[in-house]
Amino acid sequence: MNNEEPVVVERTFNAPVQKVWAALTDNEQMKKWYFQLSDFRAEVGFEFTFAAGSETKQYVHLCRVTEVVENKKLSYTWAYEGNPGSSHVTFELFDEDGKTRVRITHEGVHTFANGNPDFEKKSFQAGWTDILGTLLKKHLEG
Amino acid sequence: MRRDVFQAIADPTRREIINMVARRSMNIDSVAENFKVSRPAISKHIRILAECGLITVTQRGRERYCEARLQKLDEVSRWVEQYRTFWNDKLDALGQFLEEQSEDHQPIKKSKK
Repeated sequence: MNNEEPVVVERTFNAPVQKVWAALTDNEQMKKWYFQLSDFRAEVGFEFTFAAGSETKQYVHLCRVTEVVENKKLSYTWAYEGNPGSSHVTFELFDEDGKTRVRITHEGVHTFANGNPDFEKKSFQAGWTDILGTLLKKHLEG
Repeated sequence: MRRDVFQAIADPTRREIINMVARRSMNIDSVAENFKVSRPAISKHIRILAECGLITVTQRGRERYCEARLQKLDEVSRWVEQYRTFWNDKLDALGQFLEEQSEDHQPIKKSKK
């Protein structure tokens, strides 16, 4: 078992690659199925940010486009404000007789878990920080 | 020093050790026999795995046995699984969007399955 393997999902759509590419890169179309971005341009270096998450918690996503191959490939970095982890999302489009197979590869998601309070280890570490930081300090300085 | 489950599984030798002891508990010497690296190096890997809660080491007579604690790995899988669900949901939404779009452009369409 290797938990550092990227998350990979694939789906084939009954639509030509140009249409799928437009859905992935045209901000007006993206709003209808993806996220509400104030702006998007499929250009290397373009940075965008948006808030998304569960009903209870919203995370500010920080992204920067790293690769663009029209009708074939789109990559961007994917990070969260206030979380030291970093990840990378890649969309690949494959023309299959007029249909389009889309593959999404998300690498590095395990790097986020370290900073998540829901994750058990974090509270464990917080416990130690408390012991080393507060109690020891009190003991030494008291 | 920071030790967490992700650091623990980042190393291929440690992953191999987990796989090995996941099937049955093994004493440290038997684990070490499977590797080319030195016995102290294996001990160190085992110590790191134990510190992260992925395995437990218990003394039985003169031997020390390693046993896997796989709940920790489940936590990681669950985390990764959330992302898989997320992207599959996005693909559902994309599929629906593409379908609606083609309906807009082709008003005469065969009935849906």
